[in-house]
Amino acid sequence: MLALAPDAASQRAAAGLARPACWSDAGTAGDLVWGLCAGSGKQPYQTVVDVGGPAYRCSCPSRKFPCKHALALLLTWAGGAVPEQGEAAGYATAWQASRHARATARNGTGGQPKDAAAAARRAEQRSQRVAVGLAELEVWLGDQIRAGLTVARAAGYGHAEAIAARMVDAQAPGVASALRRLSVIPMSGDGWPGRLLAEYGLLHLLARAHRQLAALPPPLAAVVRSRVGYTTSREDVLATPPVTDRWQVLAVRDVLDGQIPARRVWLRGQHTGRFALLLSFAPVGNFSGLEAALIPGLELHADLHFYPGQPELRAVVGTRHASPAAAGRPAGAGDLAGLLSSWSAGMAQDPWLTEWPALVTGVPVPGEPGWQLADHAGLAVPLLGQESRWPLLAVSGGQPVCLAGEWTPPGLIPLTVWHDDQAVRL
Amino acid sequence: MTALSYDDLVAAATVGVGRRPELVTGLAGPAAAHADVLSRDDPAASVLDAAALLTVARRAGWPPGPGVSCPEPAAADDAPELPPRAAVLLGRAREVDAGLLADLLAAAGAAGYRAPAPLLPVLLDAASRDRGLRPAVAGVLGHRGRWLAAYRADWQRVVAGPARPDPADGPEVWQTGRRAERIGYLAALRGTDPAAARDLLRSGWASETGDDRAGLLPVLASGLSAADEEFLEMALDDRKAAVRAAALRLLARLPGSAWSGRATARAWPLLRLEGAAPDQMLVASLPSGPDPAAARDGLAGGPPPPGISAAAWQLTQVIALVPLGQWADRFGLAPVGIVALPVSGELASHVHAGWRLAAVRQARADWAAALLASGTRHPQTLRAGNRPLAAWPADEQLVAVLPPAARAARVAALLSRSAVTPAALAELAACPGPWPVSLAEVVVSMLRTVVAAAPGSPAAQSSWAGTRWASELAAVAARNLPAAGEFDYAAALNRLAEAGSCPPPWPVVLHRMAGTIALRRAFLEEIR
Repeated sequence: MLALAPDAASQRAAAGLARPACWSDAGTAGDLVWGLCAGSGKQPYQTVVDVGGPAYRCSCPSRKFPCKHALALLLTWAGGAVPEQGEAAGYATAWQASRHARATARNGTGGQPKDAAAAARRAEQRSQRVAVGLAELEVWLGDQIRAGLTVARAAGYGHAEAIAARMVDAQAPGVASALRRLSVIPMSGDGWPGRLLAEYGLLHLLARAHRQLAALPPPLAAVVRSRVGYTTSREDVLATPPVTDRWQVLAVRDVLDGQIPARRVWLRGQHTGRFALLLSFAPVGNFSGLEAALIPGLELHADLHFYPGQPELRAVVGTRHASPAAAGRPAGAGDLAGLLSSWSAGMAQDPWLTEWPALVTGVPVPGEPGWQLADHAGLAVPLLGQESRWPLLAVSGGQPVCLAGEWTPPGLIPLTVWHDDQAVRL
Repeated sequence: MTALSYDDLVAAATVGVGRRPELVTGLAGPAAAHADVLSRDDPAASVLDAAALLTVARRAGWPPGPGVSCPEPAAADDAPELPPRAAVLLGRAREVDAGLLADLLAAAGAAGYRAPAPLLPVLLDAASRDRGLRPAVAGVLGHRGRWLAAYRADWQRVVAGPARPDPADGPEVWQTGRRAERIGYLAALRGTDPAAARDLLRSGWASETGDDRAGLLPVLASGLSAADEEFLEMALDDRKAAVRAAALRLLARLPGSAWSGRATARAWPLLRLEGAAPDQMLVASLPSGPDPAAARDGLAGGPPPPGISAAAWQLTQVIALVPLGQWADRFGLAPVGIVALPVSGELASHVHAGWRLAAVRQARADWAAALLASGTRHPQTLRAGNRPLAAWPADEQLVAVLPPAARAARVAALLSRSAVTPAALAELAACPGPWPVSLAEVVVSMLRTVVAAAPGSPAAQSSWAGTRWASELAAVAARNLPAAGEFDYAAALNRLAEAGSCPPPWPVVLHRMAGTIALRRAFLEEIR
C-alpha cells in the first residue's frame, strides 16, 4: 500500500497518521472509504478514496498525490479499523457522482461533433509545415557534414538548439527532442564524432523517409510519423482490438533527461509472451495513476491496446480484469543470442529504435574498462548502470540470475533482477 | 571509391566534406548490399545516407563480445537470509538512525541470520562511511557479503574489522589471502592449536609488513599462555609502535611473565603498605630519575601532561603498568580495601590515576567499581573544569569496563537520586541495551514525571522539558527500552502521549519513541 506513496516523506507522514485516533467519522461502503482528519486548518480535511481505482480526493492543500491523508486512510482501512457503514458521507458520494459524470462524458460522444472539413484542413497544414521543416533539417545536416563535425564541438553545448527550436515551430517535436539529445554528444568524451555522425545519419534517414511517406508500407509509415512527432490519440489506440493477458511488470525506468520526466513500464504477457511498453509523462514530477502503481513483481490482468507502428510495443491499458497482483519470477528469460536476434528483428522494422526489452539469464562480470553480462553460451555484452550493477552483483553471487532491463546500442541497462522469486528493482 | 568502413566515414565527416566533395559509393559489411540507395548528386547527403546505413547495420548486427572469464561464485551460505518483512523493517530503521540499524543487525546476526543479498550494497556503503555500523554489518554479511566486498576497496574496510574465521578457507589463504582473510585463518588455527598458530606467525614474522604484523599479533589474545612469552618479548623490540603496543597488551595479561616481574619490581619500592590494620596507609615516593630501560616495557616517553611534574607522571605510569591483580596479592587486600587506603605525601591523585589507567587498559571490572565508589578526584580535573585529562581516565571510561548489569544499576541509582544531569544522561546513553527492567522502570517514571509537570511549574522548569535533553533522552530510550519482554513499552508511551495533560512537544516525541520500539519489537518477532 505504501508503494502508492509519491515519495518516502509521504510514506512516513502517512504511517504516522494511520491510527484510528487521527480519524473521525470514518467509514467504508462498497469501494468508498472516507474520513475526517484534523490538520493545521480550522476545518478537518475531508478524505475519500475509491479503492477500486484507486482514486483519491482530499480537501487538504497538499500538492502531493495521493496525499498523506489518503494514504493514511487507506492504511487504516487495510488494518480493518474503518467501520462498514450503510451509507457514505455526503462529500464522498458527491465526489463519486462527479467522477462518474466525467467518465461518462469521456466515453460518450461528448462535446460538439467535430467539423470534419476543418480537421482535414488542419492536418493538411501541419503536414505542410512538417515537410518544410524537415527539408530545412536536411539542409542543416548537409551543412554540418560539409563544414565538419568539429564545428559542432566548437559551438559548445546547444549547437543544435536553433534548429531544434525550428523543429518545434514546424510541429515536429520528435525531431526537436532528438536534436536536443544529440546536442550534448560533442562534449561526451572519446568517440564523440562517431556517435554524433550516427545521430545525424538517422535524422537524415528520417527526413528522407518522410519525403516518401506516401510510398511506404503503412506500418513503416506509422513508425516514421511517430518518430517525427505525430501523436495518436489515446481514444484511437483504445479503439484497436485488445490483447488480453496477465501482463507481468518486468521493469520500470524513469527517464529524466528529457524536458518532461518520462516513465517506461515494460510488461510481458504470460500467455502471449509479448512484450509491451507503457509510456507516461509527469509534467509536475510525480507519476500518478496506474503507471505509478505498477512495479516489478506485480502482474496486471488486463486488455492492452497497441499503438500503430512496428514492432508493436507501446500500448495503453484498456479494460482491467483484476487489480494488480503479486507475480513470481517471469518465465521466458532467454540467452544473449536470443536477445540480440530479437533486437535485430526490431531494428529491421524500426531503424530508429534505441531501447528494447531484455529478459535474460546471465552472470554480471565486473571488470575494466566496463562490466559485462555473460551467458551460459559464453557470449558477453556490456553491462551499464554505475550504481544498479552492485545490487545485481550481490544478488547473483557469481551465479546466473534472471534479469530484466533495456537493451540499448551501447549495452544492457539492468533494471530488475529476481532474487529467487522476489523482484528487486535496481 | 572503395568500400568505406564507419571509421572512414567518421574521419571524412569530422574534417568536413566541403573541402573534398566526393560521393560515397561503396560500403563495407552487410550495408554494402544497399549501397544503391546512396545519394548520387550531393556528397554530404551521401555521407549521411552511408552513416545511417552503417549505423543501423552495426547496431542491428551487434557482435557479442568473446567469452569473458566469470568470477568465482560466492560460497553457499548456510545461514538463512532475513525474512522479507524483517528486511522491510530494516529499511525503515535505516531512516530512523544508524544506531537503531546497528542494533537490529546485531540482533539478526546473533539469531543466525544474514542480510538479504539485495541489501548488501547499501549496508556495505553505510558501514564504510560509519565506523559504528561496521561490527554489526560485518556480522550479517555471510559468504555472499564478504565475496561482494572483495570487489571494492571501500567495502574492504567493513570486512577488515574483527577477525572472522572462515572455515571454508584452506591453508593457501595464509600465503595468498588479503590481510582480513589471513587474520581469520590465523584466528581459526589459534582456536584449535594455539602453539601451531604462534609458530606459523613466527615463521614468517621477519617478512611481514609492519601493518600485517600489527594486524596479526592481536590474534594471539585468544589462547594466550606462558608459551607465547618469548615471542611477545621479541615483539617488544619491533620497529612499529603499533606492534609494540599490541605485544605490551598481551604481556600485561600474562601472569608471572618476566615483563610483569620488571613492572612490579619498578613499582614496589614506590608504593609501600605501612602500619598495621586498621591504621594502615600507603607510602608513595617519587621515582629518583628517568628510567630509559622502562620505555621498552611501555613507559611513555615525552613530556608529562600539563600541570603534572615529570616525576609524578612517571609514578603514575609505573603504577599503571602493574597487572592489577598483583597489588591485591602483595597487600593481601581486595581492590575496595586498597583504594580506600590513605596515601602519604599528597600523592594520592597520582597513585589513583595509575590505577584508573590500569583498570581501563586491563578492563578490570572489580577495580573500576572500587575506583568509582572511592570517588577520588584529581585536583587537576577540578581545575580544568571537569574536562577529562589524558592522565586521568574519566568515570565514563571506568564505567565502560563494568558488566552491563552493574552499569544499569549504577545509572538507575544516579537517575533516581536527583535531577538529571548531563553526566547521568551521558552514562545512560552509553549503557548497553536492551536495558534491564529495573533501569527501564526508572526511565519511564522519569518521563512520566516530566510529562505530568504542568508547563511553567517549578518541576517543569527545573527539569528539561523542551530542552535538547528531551530529544537526546528520547532517542536513547527508544533504542534501549526493552522491546522483547511481556511489558509493552510502546503501548505505555502511547498511553502517556494521549493522556490529556501531556504538553507539547511530548505527544510527538513519545509517539515517535513508541514507533521505534514497536519497530524493534516487530523485527525481533520476525527473527525469533
